Amino acid sequence: MAGRILEAGLHLLDRQLIDKDGRLAGKVDDLELEFPSGGGPPTVTAILAGPGALSRRIGGRFGAWLEAVANRLRDGDDQHPARVSFAVVKGIDSAIDLSVPKRELETNRLEAWTRDHLIGKLPGAGDAPD
Amino acid sequence: MKRLFSVALGILTAIGGFVDIGDIVANSETGARFGMSLAWVVVVGVIGICLFAEMAGRVATVSGRAVFDLVRERLGARVALVNLVASFFITFLTLAAEIGGVALAIELATSVNYLLWVPIVAFCVWLVIWRVKFEVMENAFGLLGLTLVVAAVALWRLGPDWGGLLHGATHPVVPQGEGHPTWWFFAIALLGAAMTPYEVFFFSSGAVEEGWSRADLITNRLNVYIGFPLGGLLSLVLMAGATLFLEPRGIQPGHLSQVALPTVLVLGKLGLAVLLIGFFAATFGAALETGLSCGYSIAQYFGFQWGKFVRPAQAPRFHLVVLVSVLAGAGLILTTLDPITVTEYSIVLSAAALPLTYFPILVVANDPDYMGDKVNSRFTNALGSLYLLVLVVVAVATIPLMVLTKAGS
Repeated sequence: MAGRILEAGLHLLDRQLIDKDGRLAGKVDDLELEFPSGGGPPTVTAILAGPGALSRRIGGRFGAWLEAVANRLRDGDDQHPARVSFAVVKGIDSAIDLSVPKRELETNRLEAWTRDHLIGKLPGAGDAPD
Repeated sequence: MKRLFSVALGILTAIGGFVDIGDIVANSETGARFGMSLAWVVVVGVIGICLFAEMAGRVATVSGRAVFDLVRERLGARVALVNLVASFFITFLTLAAEIGGVALAIELATSVNYLLWVPIVAFCVWLVIWRVKFEVMENAFGLLGLTLVVAAVALWRLGPDWGGLLHGATHPVVPQGEGHPTWWFFAIALLGAAMTPYEVFFFSSGAVEEGWSRADLITNRLNVYIGFPLGGLLSLVLMAGATLFLEPRGIQPGHLSQVALPTVLVLGKLGLAVLLIGFFAATFGAALETGLSCGYSIAQYFGFQWGKFVRPAQAPRFHLVVLVSVLAGAGLILTTLDPITVTEYSIVLSAAALPLTYFPILVVANDPDYMGDKVNSRFTNALGSLYLLVLVVVAVATIPLMVLTKAGS
């Protein structure tokens, strides 16, 4: 998707991420920008997704609380929000299509935890609805 | 043929699915107190829900994005969060009211106190959401809800003064002894019951669940434009029944049994049995819809995988929200808070929150980026804007009126 000029606030922020298999994989909660050394407009290098990124955009007391929770939920001293490299973005329309399955994304950690420790333990969790 | 069948099925389930505990309570209470003088609000509410449900269904079908997904995208992370908190709270309150309503319907059939049924009802609601396929779930309870038509049969058998009812509906006057603020407060409650936000959360998410494509847009139209008005007619039947039987006797329905009174008096035990099945199906079906909508709204705001079109293990956070909501809803009713009171608050607060849901839908339905050639027509936009104006006035007026009239008492 290199070189395309987008209104980041309008076409990227808060859009749904969809992985390679059509599964919903989080929102574009924030963007990582790089400012070229020679000046000129910044380019988007990554999508930031998950509570860590969202908390900074919400701000205020709730944002601070959310950020504290997000930091608690992360392993070790890793303080950066979950990051999806812009290189895996395949298409941008009413959602952002990615070229990788979501299990390979950092944003998948909370969902995997909920599945492994809570919902996946209930009987029938792996069955297709019938 | 298959298409015809699916359209007919969609319309029938829309009729049965329209009525929920909020409609049952609001229509009976207003009928008992104000006769048919507020029937016009049901008409206004039905046109409104048709207008915006069709829009939400069309947006979901064309863009694949359900309502709360769009709320987040159009309003941004912060404003949408405020919206989420309000919408979730109201949907949760409605879920609790529906669980209480199911338990009350079973109490009427078994004479066993409703509180004992609440945990069982909550478990069954969760189990159906966990196990049963979306289409099966929607069709079964929608069709079973059609048994509410027995209330219309009772009304017809009675052969009331139709002219008098119609005159009461077309010449609205505030009855003697009732104040204007109270009358308007009940008008707002009726509007909130007819246009509850969860209906569009559910309807638009349902379009994604069922994998609607552009070919289904006609089904979307027919379901909404035929099914909802007929559902609204059922609401009016309950109002007329209360007008004829409860108003002259000065009975203010505080319990489901009084809502059933007109049908019992005309059709006897058998009529009551059928009506109770209708109450059960309507409230249980709505409990499923509100339970799912709790999950839909949160998952769509945060971008979690949601829906019953995947295995529960593939949408763990969505199912966690649903499970916790159903448990907490049952917990709220188990505090012995009167389910009818919970219902009254849920519909009035719904009315206050209506613009939060319907404004983003109207905006996105006009965005060619999402909709291509399926953007709103000029007529739809004119009507939609007019409604939004009314909804804003209603939202502003609701809380002051609630305080002024002590919630209509």
